[in-house]
Amino acid sequence: MLTRQVSLSALIFIFFYLIQESVVTQFHLPAGGFSIFLIFTLVWAVLSTPVIGALSGFAAGFLMDLSQSSSGPFGQWILIMILACYAISLLNYGNEKLRGNFIEIVFFIVVGVLATELCFLITGALLGVATGSIDQIILTLIGISIWTLVITPLSMPVFARLHGFVFNTRMHI
Amino acid sequence: MRDGGDNRSRLVVIILIVSALLFITLDLRGIAVIGGIRHGAQSVTSSFQRAGSFVVTPFKNFFTDVTQLGRTRNQLEQLRFENSTLKNRLINRESADSELLQLKSILNLAGTAGYKIISAKVISQGSSQSFSQTITIDAGSNSGIKRNQTVISDAGIAGVVKEVYSDSALVLLASDPAFRIGVRIAGSQQIGILSGQGNRRAILQLLDNQTDVAIGDVLLARGSAANRPFVPGVPVGLVTSVDNSPGAIAQSAGVTFYANFSALSVVAVVVGAPATDPRDSLVPQKPEPTPIPTVTIYVTPTPSVTK
Repeated sequence: MLTRQVSLSALIFIFFYLIQESVVTQFHLPAGGFSIFLIFTLVWAVLSTPVIGALSGFAAGFLMDLSQSSSGPFGQWILIMILACYAISLLNYGNEKLRGNFIEIVFFIVVGVLATELCFLITGALLGVATGSIDQIILTLIGISIWTLVITPLSMPVFARLHGFVFNTRMHI
Repeated sequence: MRDGGDNRSRLVVIILIVSALLFITLDLRGIAVIGGIRHGAQSVTSSFQRAGSFVVTPFKNFFTDVTQLGRTRNQLEQLRFENSTLKNRLINRESADSELLQLKSILNLAGTAGYKIISAKVISQGSSQSFSQTITIDAGSNSGIKRNQTVISDAGIAGVVKEVYSDSALVLLASDPAFRIGVRIAGSQQIGILSGQGNRRAILQLLDNQTDVAIGDVLLARGSAANRPFVPGVPVGLVTSVDNSPGAIAQSAGVTFYANFSALSVVAVVVGAPATDPRDSLVPQKPEPTPIPTVTIYVTPTPSVTK
């Protein structure tokens, strides 16, 4: 059972990582665009237990650090994603009222993406990674948030079905 | 803390965080294993990016049209009456023409200066989630590309080769906040350091506070030792604003890059520099102002009717 869950999860994570790296990055979307992989990981964490959330964050962060466009040292995304996924999963875990609420989950994901990017900026600054001018950073953060707000409701049912398929749960969102 | 906050889950999280910190430490210490993992992953990903680039191109053109709807409205209205086959063919043809035009301009630029170049197609644009500005090109070490070589576009400098893989290479764009280049002002030959700002604008810090810099001054790459990472003479940008603060230690100026980083589809990597510095031979010609026709109207009085 565990082997099935791990292998299926790994395949799904790699699939969305490749979608992000080979398809989404092809488009010159205004205001920075979005990261389907980041959205997917946070949705996955919202629907999981804190331990699985943290493990998912580790796996996602590992893949994000492998990305050629990752500017920081290897491990920076891993650290951020572990904390983000664990936090978002812990806040949501056991809260049945929230689990079925589509709009609140979307809100959670948008705030999660924004917080993740801010954490990346802060840790990047601590580790000496150049991040650009303030106006460009603000523009990118606003752009990513708006894109996430648009993309999350469209993609979340698919992510929830995949999560339900892997963990044999039925999530009504 | 509910069920998730038990000791076991905390232990797992602590182990994962320690692992992440270990990775960061190893990477900052320059352990080769981490670089090897990234190289391996990029070699795998680049083949998917090629396939993605091929599949996505028609949709990409569609999105480009949508984002430039105001400018292409007339063209879209004309295309509406054409059938889908012709439409696709036209879009693909436009894409190829645009690439050809860019390539011609690059060859002109390289030919004038005597650069030996390898042209390459942009197969992926780096995600902005990491606040970095990069592109991936479809030529790598198999084509003779090495790290720290200058990358030029049709208009001027595009960036520098950051990583090289067998069939692809990662280019750090000049717009990246980490990008720094030594430049000189064409004509006066004053030197300074230009740094990217995350968009098409950049900041020029002049080394001499007594230097006179003016709006419209052209900046050229100063060149590096052994021509790596920068070959001399490549047009970089145009001064668009000057900061003349009296208390400033060094004079600074706002610069707009010649290259349009959001529209790069073909670039060239300079693999061989000319024997002599091309000096100011690559300074782009200023556009000639279009003469505005003057219309002169002669008013002739209507003969009044006299009774």
